[in-house]
Amino acid sequence: MTERVLVIGGGGAGTAASTIAKRVNPDLQVTVFTEFEDIAYSPCGIPYVHGREIPQFEDLFLSTVERYVEEGLDMRMETVITDIDLDRRTVTARNMHEGFDKLILCTGFVWEQPDVPGANLEGLHYVKNIRRAMEFDKELDSVKKAVVIGGMWLGVEMSGGFARRGIEVDFIDEGPWLLSELADPDVAEAAQEALEKLGVRVRMGTRLEGFEEADGRVRAVNTSEGELPCDVAVICLHKLPNTALAEAAGIKLGTTGGIVVDDHMRTSADGVWAAGDVIEVPHGLSMLPIRGLTGSHAYSQGRVAGANAAGDDRSYDPVWIPWGFMSGDYTIGGFSIGETLADAMGIPYVVARGVGVSRARYFPGAAKTHVKLLAEPGSLRLIGAQLHGGEGIKERCDFLAFVGKRGATLHDLAWMENIYSPPIGALFEPIQIAAQNGLAEQREREKVAT
Amino acid sequence: MSAAAKRQQQLRERSEYYLRLAAMEDQRRRHPGATTRPALPRGGLFWRFVFVPLYRRVPWHVKERAMHALGMTASGWPEGRRSFGEPWRPPPAAGDGAGPRTTPPP
Repeated sequence: MTERVLVIGGGGAGTAASTIAKRVNPDLQVTVFTEFEDIAYSPCGIPYVHGREIPQFEDLFLSTVERYVEEGLDMRMETVITDIDLDRRTVTARNMHEGFDKLILCTGFVWEQPDVPGANLEGLHYVKNIRRAMEFDKELDSVKKAVVIGGMWLGVEMSGGFARRGIEVDFIDEGPWLLSELADPDVAEAAQEALEKLGVRVRMGTRLEGFEEADGRVRAVNTSEGELPCDVAVICLHKLPNTALAEAAGIKLGTTGGIVVDDHMRTSADGVWAAGDVIEVPHGLSMLPIRGLTGSHAYSQGRVAGANAAGDDRSYDPVWIPWGFMSGDYTIGGFSIGETLADAMGIPYVVARGVGVSRARYFPGAAKTHVKLLAEPGSLRLIGAQLHGGEGIKERCDFLAFVGKRGATLHDLAWMENIYSPPIGALFEPIQIAAQNGLAEQREREKVAT
Repeated sequence: MSAAAKRQQQLRERSEYYLRLAAMEDQRRRHPGATTRPALPRGGLFWRFVFVPLYRRVPWHVKERAMHALGMTASGWPEGRRSFGEPWRPPPAAGDGAGPRTTPPP
């Protein structure tokens, strides 16, 4: 008899899980349930369509429902699963029961909603669904003032997009500097300047206290620093794992609120896997579970879950989280931890800093690249980094996360080989400069100590 | 979610929040020009004036062991499967990009 795999969720993890499951075992009957009308698009591109850097929303679609059907998947669009019965091996959708042999939960996230007066008004927007974003984009044509709330990177990207479109933007966040949950102040300072250069009014240390209405629609945002008039407000607080179904089914949740999985993406329930924003995975440095990672993490986890549900034996590693994004025309990024998080956790570290250039210094377009490396005292093993600059930040963060995961030290980085080609790389690699500086400081410290 | 699990989740949320707040204060002192005063929460006196100073007195290796013993670190994951400094090696038979195989293919 044909085995049936059900996948709940049509985001990055769900599409990866379903296609890989079918590829690993073509005899499986794989069914995907999604509450939305569309599948296989990039929600991360939405701020850039609003900012008119990407011409149209259609460009964000990577594939079509028909293509998945052609690949042999049973696609159930706009179908909400309301219940999972693990004993009977069924799910309920539209009052119908659907049986399964194996289940993969990719239910994603929901946005944290502010607990303030007026939080249900018209004109408040959350970035998630592309159809809603398309409608919102039409509204933006008549919007003059917007308030963006919340200090994670989506808020920064949305603010930049609005400013590029000629909308007056106030960006508010409780933190003491931009992206304070992610980046250190020395790194975030340049990102804030870049956002302000676009015309965004960045108001840090500002608490959201409520929304004022006119005819049922938001007309202003109340903050600890006063009232900010607006036509729309965009709320970009934290992503929370959408675990309602899993929790009701008795599947174990962890200390972050996400579903607990092992390195095979197996949940606590037999024959049930999970992947993407709904799960928690360990940080490679501390082995503490974390959640709310990127689309590329969700996709990789989905692949592992799908392959294993199809009978293969694949594993996923603890994460070292390379990250990066644009703030205005500037790039910041990093991996693992920065100084603020290391201080918060009490992890000892030494810092190595350096500034280099992205191309030969005489080549037009050469931009400064600032590198800060965090290393374990003694062994000088790399445990984190934060970078900012004009170009090449993303590639450096990916590289550092990889070598950090493999145990590289400041000694390794100080003597790394690098490409010297005037249009794409300078004689001295900025990472190498930072590591050399760090080693020199260590030698000085050792001299003083002896 | 059991009441105990809920409490563990709240404990983690609260402790992380106040530890981060304290670390941000330290950073503010180091970078006064690049930072501003955060919107501080109401209350939280225990966390700010008892928990954070106590946590900071404990060395990291002790905290690490304690978190492990209290079940706060992930289980079901092979810790240290690649020891630090071990040279990189390609994962066995990861041909279709679905993640490394942990056992040889059938």
